[in-house]
Amino acid sequence: MSAAPAEVKLPESDEDQAADRPWIVIVWNDPINLMSYVVLVFQKLFGYNRAKATELMLDVHHKGRAVVSSGTREKAELDVFRLHEHGLWATMRQD
Amino acid sequence: MFGRNRPQPRVVPVNGSYALKLDGRERDLMRQILGDMRALLMLEPGDLRVRRLYPSAYADDAEKEDEYRMLTHEELRSSRLANVDAVEASIDAKVLNEEQLTAWMQAINSLRLVLGTLLDISDDDQELAFDPDDPEARTQALYGYLGGLLDEIVDAQLEAL
Repeated sequence: MSAAPAEVKLPESDEDQAADRPWIVIVWNDPINLMSYVVLVFQKLFGYNRAKATELMLDVHHKGRAVVSSGTREKAELDVFRLHEHGLWATMRQD
Repeated sequence: MFGRNRPQPRVVPVNGSYALKLDGRERDLMRQILGDMRALLMLEPGDLRVRRLYPSAYADDAEKEDEYRMLTHEELRSSRLANVDAVEASIDAKVLNEEQLTAWMQAINSLRLVLGTLLDISDDDQELAFDPDDPEARTQALYGYLGGLLDEIVDAQLEAL
């Protein structure tokens, strides 16, 4: 009779690992929204102070995009929805 | 670029509310465009004229994107219609509370996004050359007007934050 096999630790499947990675919300530059409006939306939706909201807006403006929030898929989707409600160009993806 | 404040802003924070100093012609114009906004919100989200109001959430996952659209399109439409209703209900108001001013801001911004798309605005800081004989002149003028008013609404809210 063979010895009981040692407990084998199976490698996590790709899917499990993928599920752990946070989702990030990205706002993209657009030529229509006012810069001041984007700052106000960042402050109102995410509670950022003026300096942080302005820094993110300038990143969007100069670099073309900025990560504005992250978290679970559900949280990211709600953030994206609220940004869309405010007319901003936002997408989400897993980090 | 927009951001040239008038000497006397039309939206002024006052004790937690906002004085709205629009003259009769400006209120008539707003009244007129409420109908335009409702008509635009009745169009299918896929219609090119309003495509900008319903952006994609998942750029590289068609399945999740379809799901997101199914879940959110009606809500995006109805929240925008609610904003238009709120503007209509306060169209003659001399003072707006925070919620009402936010509805004005959202409604104006939505229409501005549609007009900007129609005008093919592509450069952040471009000055629109205004030619009254251009068939797009009315759209251009309205786009410019709404940008100025929106800027003052945003400044008032930023000041009050």
